[in-house]
Amino acid sequence: MKLNRTSFSAAAVLLASVALPGISHATVTVLGWPGGSEETALRATVEAYNAQSGIADADKVELLFFNRDGFFDKLQADMAAGSDAFDVNLVATYSIGRYAPYMEPVDLGADAGKVFGESVLKTMQFDGKQYGVPTDLSLHFMYYRKDLVDALMQDDAAKKKYAEIAKEHLGKDLQPKDPDSWTWDDWAATTLYFSKQVNSESPVRYGTVLQMKNLLFNMMVFQSLPRSYGADWTDKDGNVTVDSDAYKTGLELYKKLYDAGASPKDSLSYEYAETNAAYGSGQAATALQWNAAAADLTNAEKTPAVAAVTGIVAPPAGPNGRADHIHGLGLGLNKNAKNKEGAVKFLKWLATEDAALLYARSGGSPALAPDVAAKVSKERPDLVKLGEFASQYGYVMNGATSANALSVYELQAKEFTGYWAGQQSLEDALAHTKTGMQDLLKK
Amino acid sequence: MAIVNRAEGRAYLTPLVGFLLFFLGFPAAVNLVYSISTVSFETLRSPSLSGFGNYAAVLADHEFWGAVSFSMRFGVLTALAECLIGLFLAVFLTPLLAKRSYLMAPLMLPLMVAPAMIGLMYRLVLHEFAGPVPYYLFEWFGDSPAFLDVDNAFRTLLVVEILQWTPFAFLLFYMAYAAIPLEVREAASLDGASALKALWWIEVPLMLPTLVIAFFIRFIDGFRVFDNVYALTGSGAGGSTTSLSIYIYQAFFKGGAIGKAVAASVVLFLASLAVLYGLNWITGRGRR
Repeated sequence: MKLNRTSFSAAAVLLASVALPGISHATVTVLGWPGGSEETALRATVEAYNAQSGIADADKVELLFFNRDGFFDKLQADMAAGSDAFDVNLVATYSIGRYAPYMEPVDLGADAGKVFGESVLKTMQFDGKQYGVPTDLSLHFMYYRKDLVDALMQDDAAKKKYAEIAKEHLGKDLQPKDPDSWTWDDWAATTLYFSKQVNSESPVRYGTVLQMKNLLFNMMVFQSLPRSYGADWTDKDGNVTVDSDAYKTGLELYKKLYDAGASPKDSLSYEYAETNAAYGSGQAATALQWNAAAADLTNAEKTPAVAAVTGIVAPPAGPNGRADHIHGLGLGLNKNAKNKEGAVKFLKWLATEDAALLYARSGGSPALAPDVAAKVSKERPDLVKLGEFASQYGYVMNGATSANALSVYELQAKEFTGYWAGQQSLEDALAHTKTGMQDLLKK
Repeated sequence: MAIVNRAEGRAYLTPLVGFLLFFLGFPAAVNLVYSISTVSFETLRSPSLSGFGNYAAVLADHEFWGAVSFSMRFGVLTALAECLIGLFLAVFLTPLLAKRSYLMAPLMLPLMVAPAMIGLMYRLVLHEFAGPVPYYLFEWFGDSPAFLDVDNAFRTLLVVEILQWTPFAFLLFYMAYAAIPLEVREAASLDGASALKALWWIEVPLMLPTLVIAFFIRFIDGFRVFDNVYALTGSGAGGSTTSLSIYIYQAFFKGGAIGKAVAASVVLFLASLAVLYGLNWITGRGRR
C-alpha cells in the first residue's frame, strides 16, 4: 500500500512536470537580446505591458535570454528545427534574410511610421514585408580626445609638425581641423601625428584604435570609410562592385595606418571590448566605435581617464560626403509561435509611441522620428544625435539584408584581414572577395 | 560459476547499448546522410542525396588543408611539449610531492578551468592596455610584442595550451613514476647505474605505455582544439588560426555549407579513428 502511495505521488509529480510547461505556454514568450541596455529596457517595457489592465493572463509576456556569444548561430539552429520555445524572437537588419523563412510578417499599423519613420522601419523589412518592430539602432561615432585636438589646434609648432607628417605619409598638404569637419585624410593625418612611432613627441601612444579582428562586425565598422568614397556591395544591376577604387582606398588607408604604428600592434585581434579598453586607457587619440560605447566612454566612473575629454562626431567625410553604417535590432514573430495572437498584440503595442518612449527612457536606443525623440531629449540627448546621424548619414549596402548578408561580412572579414596582415595582396583579397560575394549574392 | 548468466547480461546491457545507439549512433547516421546530400538550414528535414560531391569539395578546398596543417602542427607540438615538460616535472617533483602531497592541488588548478575561459583570460592578460604582461614589459623594456598578431599568434596559442594541459601529462607521469617498484631502482643502484642511466634505461621504458597514451590523448585534444583558440583569435587574420574544428564550425554556421561541413567532420572522425586504432595497436604490442 505504501509503495502504491509512493508510486502515486511519483506519477503525480511526473504529470505535473509535464503539465506545467503547458501552462507556461499560455503566455507570449519573447527571446530578447541578452545583456546590456537592450535587456534592461526590454524588461522594464514588458513589465509595463503586463501591468496593463486589458492584458489577459494568457497574453502576458515572459522573457527568455541566452548568451550573446554565438546568439545568431543558436537562433538559426533553433528556428531551422522548428522550435516553438518562443513566440517572438530577436532579428537584426543583417540577418532578416536568413531568418525570414522561419518568421511571419507582421502588420504594425499606420502609426508605426509616425513613431519610427519609414527609413527606420525599413531596417526590419525583407522583400518589402515588415518582419519586426525596430527596437534599437546601431551606428558608429567617431570618438576623439578634445583636449589633445584643442592643444594641437592652438600650437603653431605642433601644426607645423602635423603638416610635415601629413606630407610625408599621405603626400598631402593638410592642416589640423575641427573633428566635425574632418575628411578621412584629416583623420588619418591626426592619427599619425598622435602616434609615438611616427611622432615621438606625441602625448599618447597611438593615434587611433582600429578594429581589425577577423570578425564580421568589424567589417561594419570599416565599411563607412569606403562608402564615403562611393563604395557599395553591388550596382543597380546586381553586379558585385567590391573591387572598386573606393574599397581599395579604404583598405589601403587602414593598412597604411596599421603598418605605420598608428593603431596598437594587436589590432588584428581587436573588436568592440578591446577598442573600448584601448581608448579608455587614455593612450589613443581617436576611435571609430559603435554608438553603444558612448555610455561607458563618457562615464567618469567607468572611464575616468578620458570621459571628461571625449568628444563625439559622425564618421569623417569622403568625396561622397559622410556615411554611417546603420542596422537595427528588433523583435518579430516566430512562424511556429504557439500564441501568435498574443504575440502580434504585443508587437503592435511595442510599435506605439508610448511603448517606444518607455523603451527609450528605460535605456534602450530606438531610432525615433524627430518629434517623438524630442519628447525624451532631456533624459536621452544621445538619442537625438543617434536619430540625426542615422537620418543624415545612415546607409545600408545593396544586398546587406539578403539571406547571405552575414556570410558576405564573414567573407570580407577573412579576406580583408588577410590583406591587412600582409598575407595576401590587395588585388588577391578583392578578387577572392568578389568571387565569393558573386556566389553568395546570386539569386 | 558466472555471477550472471548470458541472458541476464544481455538484459542489463540493453539499456546502455540502446542509449549509445540513440545518442551516438543516430547523430552519426544523420551526419553520414548529410555528408552525401545537398542540404541547407531550410531543408534540414528533407536533404536530397547528391553523391560524394561534398567530400570532393572538402578535399579540393585549400582552406581545409590549411586547417588540417594548423591542427596537425598544433596537436603534435603541444602534445610533445606537454609530455616533455610533464615528464621533467614528474621526475623532479616526485621527492617533493612524496613529502608535501598538498602541493599537487595547485599544480592541477589549470585543469579545472574551461578552455574557453582560459582563452578569455589570456585575451585580458595579453591586452596591451588592460593586461599585466604587456604592462610590465612596457615598464621594464619600454615595449611589448604583439602577442596575437599574425606572426606570433600561433606561438602564443601553443604556450596557452601547453600551460593549461601540461599538468594533465604531469599527473599521469607522476603516477607512473611513483608506481615503479623500489626494488628495481635499488637493483639498478647496486649495479652502479647513475641516476641519468637509471632514468633512461629503466624508468622511462617502464613508463613507456603511459608516455604513449598521454601523448596520443594530448595530440587528439590538441588536434581538435576549438574553444581557447576561438576565444583568443577567432580564426585569425586571413584565417591564419583556423583549426579543423573551427573550419567545420564556420562552414556549418557561418557559411551555411552544411554538407561540406559534415563531410569534413566525417573525415576528421575517420582520422581520429585511425589514430585510436594506432594507439590501441601500440599499447597492445607493449603488453605482449
